[in-house]
Amino acid sequence: MKRGLGWSALVAALLVYPFVDRVLGFQTVHAVSDGMIYVLLALGLNIVVGYAGLLDLGYAAFFAIGAYAMGLLNSPVLGSPFYGHPWSFWLCIWIAAAVSALLGVAIGAPTLRVRGDYLAIITLGFGEIIPVAIRNLGDITIELGSWRPVERLNLTGGENGVNPIGRPYFPGVPFETDPVPWYFLILIIGAASLWAMNRLRDSRLGRAWMAIREDETAADCAGVNPVSTKLLAFALGASFSGFAGSVYAAKLQAITPGAFEFQVSIMLLCMVVLGGAGSLKGVILGGMLITLFDRVALAQMTFFVRWVGRTVGVPALVAADLTLWRWFFFGLGLALVMLLRPEGLAGRRLRPIPVGDDSADAPAPAVPPRVEAIPSWLRDRMRGGGGAHGSEPILEIRALTRRFGGIVALNDVDLVVPRGAIVGLIGPNGAGKTTLFNVVTGLIRPEGGRITFEGTSLGRLRPNAIVARGIARTFQSIRLFPQMTVLENVLVGEHCRLAASVVGAVLRPRAVVSEEARARQRGRELLTFVGLDGKEDDVARNLPYGDQRRLEIARALATEPRLILLDEPTAGMNPRETETLTALIGTLRRELALSVLLIEHDMEVVMGISDRITVLDYGTRIAEGTPAEIQRHPRVIEAYLGTGFEAERHA
Amino acid sequence: MPGRVRALGGLGGHVGAPQVNAWEVLVQQTINGLTRGAVFALIALGYTMVYGIIELINFAHGDVFMLGLFISLSWFALLGVTKTLVGWQLVTILPLVFALTMLTTAALNVAIDRLAYRPLRRSTRLAPLITAIGVSFMLENIALLWKGPAPIAYPDVFPSVDILREWFGVDSAVFITTKDLLVVGATIPLMVGLNYFVTRTRWGKAMRATAQDRETAQAMGIDVERTILLTFCVGGALAGAAGVIQGMYYNIGMWWMGYQAGLRAFTAAVLGGIGNMPGAALGGLFIGFLSAWSDQYISARWTNAIVFAILILVLVFRPQGLMGERSPDKV
Repeated sequence: MKRGLGWSALVAALLVYPFVDRVLGFQTVHAVSDGMIYVLLALGLNIVVGYAGLLDLGYAAFFAIGAYAMGLLNSPVLGSPFYGHPWSFWLCIWIAAAVSALLGVAIGAPTLRVRGDYLAIITLGFGEIIPVAIRNLGDITIELGSWRPVERLNLTGGENGVNPIGRPYFPGVPFETDPVPWYFLILIIGAASLWAMNRLRDSRLGRAWMAIREDETAADCAGVNPVSTKLLAFALGASFSGFAGSVYAAKLQAITPGAFEFQVSIMLLCMVVLGGAGSLKGVILGGMLITLFDRVALAQMTFFVRWVGRTVGVPALVAADLTLWRWFFFGLGLALVMLLRPEGLAGRRLRPIPVGDDSADAPAPAVPPRVEAIPSWLRDRMRGGGGAHGSEPILEIRALTRRFGGIVALNDVDLVVPRGAIVGLIGPNGAGKTTLFNVVTGLIRPEGGRITFEGTSLGRLRPNAIVARGIARTFQSIRLFPQMTVLENVLVGEHCRLAASVVGAVLRPRAVVSEEARARQRGRELLTFVGLDGKEDDVARNLPYGDQRRLEIARALATEPRLILLDEPTAGMNPRETETLTALIGTLRRELALSVLLIEHDMEVVMGISDRITVLDYGTRIAEGTPAEIQRHPRVIEAYLGTGFEAERHA
Repeated sequence: MPGRVRALGGLGGHVGAPQVNAWEVLVQQTINGLTRGAVFALIALGYTMVYGIIELINFAHGDVFMLGLFISLSWFALLGVTKTLVGWQLVTILPLVFALTMLTTAALNVAIDRLAYRPLRRSTRLAPLITAIGVSFMLENIALLWKGPAPIAYPDVFPSVDILREWFGVDSAVFITTKDLLVVGATIPLMVGLNYFVTRTRWGKAMRATAQDRETAQAMGIDVERTILLTFCVGGALAGAAGVIQGMYYNIGMWWMGYQAGLRAFTAAVLGGIGNMPGAALGGLFIGFLSAWSDQYISARWTNAIVFAILILVLVFRPQGLMGERSPDKV
C-alpha cells in the first residue's frame, strides 16, 4: 500500500509540475526535459553496464547516432541527395532506435570475446571514432589523380552540425512554441522505457545478463549463451539511447558533433555508478542528482562562495567560478563512489563475505535428501529423456588429447559412462581430471579424440549448447552468481529450458507469465530438495560453504541434465556434510536415473558410491575398473604412493 | 619557431615549400614520427609497467604526462630560466629540471596510486578503471584551472639549430634540428637505464616476479605493495620526462593533451603486448611514425580515427600484441 502511494505521488508530481512551473514562472521545463533525456540515456547505459556488466565508455556514440538519424532524415536543408525530404518525427524516432540498436550489435560483436577492461577501451575507441567521422564526413572529396569521383559531399553537416531539424507534428499540440508538450513527450517515452526495462530485468533475459556479469564462464556452463545475451544488451541499451538522441535532436532543433564527446559518456557513467549500477531506482536518482548538480547546484554554490568571499574579503573567492570545476567534481564523484560505496547510493548493500570457517559457528542443517522431495517434474523430464536409448553408454570418450604448451594434459584418454551409472574419476593433483571436464563441457577444445553423448558427437559445441543437450556440471572452486539470490541462481539454470524472448519479456503474454511462474515453482522445489528451502531470497555469496555447494548442484539440476559432472563436490566439507552430499548423489542416480561423472579426492566417497572408476595420471588413463579392482591395481598404488625411489633411479 | 609550426600543422612550412620532392617529405615525416614516437614510447612504458603489475589500465597516466610538461615549466621558472639555455647550462640546468620534474611526477603518480587505486586492489577489475577515469578528469580539470583553457607557450629553452644547413652546409628541404637530437639523446639513456633497472637490479627482479605472479612473489618474501609503489614511481618519472621533452620540442602545452597522448601511448602499449616493456617502446615508435605519415598522406583529421581503429583491431584480434605470445585465460 505504502509503496503504491509513493508511486502515485511521484506520478502526480510529474504530471502537475509543468503547470506549477508556469504559474510560478520558474521557466525550468526546458531544463527538466533535457535532464530527463539524460536520465533516459543513463537508464539505457545501465542495461549494458549495470545488468550485463559490460563497461561501455563510448555510450555517447549511440546517443550521437540516434540524434543524427533524426537530424539527417528530418532536416529540410543540407545539400546532399539524402536530404530535402524531411520524414515524420514519429517515424524517425523508431528508425533512430533501430539504427542505434544495429550499431550496438556492430560495436558489440567484435568485443564479445575480449576481457572486461579491453572491452571498455574498445567502446571508448568507437566513441572517439564516431564524432571524428561525423566531423569529417561533412566535406568529403575523393581525389584519384585528377579524377574526383566525389567532391565536397556533405553527409553529416560536419563541424557545423545539422540545423534546423523538423519538429514533431501532432494536431493541436504546439511543439513549436511551448516546452510543455516536449516535457510530456519525453515523460511518456521515459516512462515507457522504464516500464520495459523493469520487465526486462525480471525476465529470463535479465537474469541471463546478470549471470554473465557475475561469472561469464559459469553462466555459459549453466546454459546461457553469452554471445546472444551480450549482443542483446548492446542492442537494447543502444536502442533506448536512439530514442533519447532523436528526441534530443528534434527538441534542440540543431546538433553538432561536440555534443557527443567522451565527456558525455563519462557523465552518463557517473549517473549509473553514483546511483547504483543495476538498480533502476538508483540510476534515476543518480541521473537526477547529477543533472541537478550540474545545472543548479554548481551555479548556486558559486554565488554562495562569492558571497562568502565578499563578506570575508577574500578576492580569490569573489572571483571563483565553480562551474569551471565541473569535471573535477565528476571525476571526484566517480572515484569516491568506487572507493567508498561501489554499489552506489541505492544499490544492493552486501554483507561482507564471511571469513574463515563459517560452518563451525553456524552449522548448516545437513538434512539428508528425502526421496519424496524430488520434484515430480524433474522425475518426469529425466525419465522421458533417458528411456529411449536403451543400453548404450550415455557418454563415450575416445582417444581424447589436449596439450598446453609442452604439457600433455590429456593423452589419448578413453572413458565411458554407462547410462545411470556413477563413474568416479580419480588421480593425483595435475592428472588432468578438471581438464577432462573442461573439454567435455566445451570450455576447452580438444586437439584429438571424440566425445559422444547419447549417440551423437559433441563436436565443437559451445558450453551452453552442451548444457542444452543434457550435460550439467559443477566447479571445483564453487562458481555461483554471487550477487544474485539463491532462487535467481537456480532460475539461470532453467534458462535453456525456457523460451521467453525479448518481446515476450516486455509484453508478457499469458504464455510467458505462466512459464515464469512454473519456472519459479520448479526452482523452489529444487531448492527444497537440496535442503535450501527458506533461503530463496538470500544473496548467494552470503550462504555458508556447504549451502553454496548444494546450490551449485541445484543450479546444475535445473538445467534438466541426464549426465552431471561433479568436480570435487565434497571438497572442504565436514564429515556430516560429506555424508549428506554422498546420499544426495546416490538418490539422484537411484530415483532419477541420472548418470554421474565424479571427480573426488575423498577415497571413502569414491569407493563407496562409484560403479566404476577411471584413474588418470599425467594425463594418461592408467586404470579402469570397479572400486575393488582399482584398490588393488598396482599402477594406481604406484601413482598415489610412488614406487621405490631407489629402484627408479637405477632403472 | 620551426618546432611550433610542426606541432600545429603536422607538416612544417619548410617542407611545404614548392621545391620539396616526395622523398624529402617522407624523410621529414619519418623524423617527425620518430620524435613523436619517442614521447609516446616513454608514456607507453608507464602504462605497460602498471598494467603488467596490477592489471590496471591507468587512465590517468596521460594526464601525469601533461602535468609533467606544466610542472617542468614551473621548475624552469623557479630556476629563473627565461631564455634559451647555452653552454654549461645545458649540462647542469637541463638535467636538473629533468630530475626535478621526474621526481615530482613520480611522487604524483605514487600519490594517485595510494589514494585512488590501492584501496581497490582486491576488488573487481573494472572498479579501479572507473576510479582511474575519475582521477584523469580531476587532473585535467586542475590543469585547466591552473593554466587556463588556451594553449600555453613553452619557452624556447633548448637551442634550435638547423643541423643540415648550419653544421654540414647541406641545403635540403629536410629539417633536422638540435631538438631532434635532444629527443633521441634524452630518450635513449632513459630506456637503457630502465632496462638496466628492470633486468639487473634486485628491485627490477621483484617487479618482474610480482608481474608474473603476485601471490607467489609475496610468498617468496617480496614486499608487493612496495614493488607496486616503485612501479608507479618509475612510470610517473618516465611520463614526467616525456612531458619535459614534449614541452621543449613543441613549445606548447594544452590541458587536454594528456587524454589524447595517453590513448595513443596506450595503443602503443597494446600493440607491443601490454606488460611487455620493449614492446611498448617499439609500439610507441610505431604509433609515432603512423600518426606522422597519416597526417601527411591521409589527413590529420583522420589520424585519431586511424589510431583508434588500430587499437580496436589489435585488442579484438591480437590482444597479446603484435609481438607477444598468446597466454590463455585461466578457467
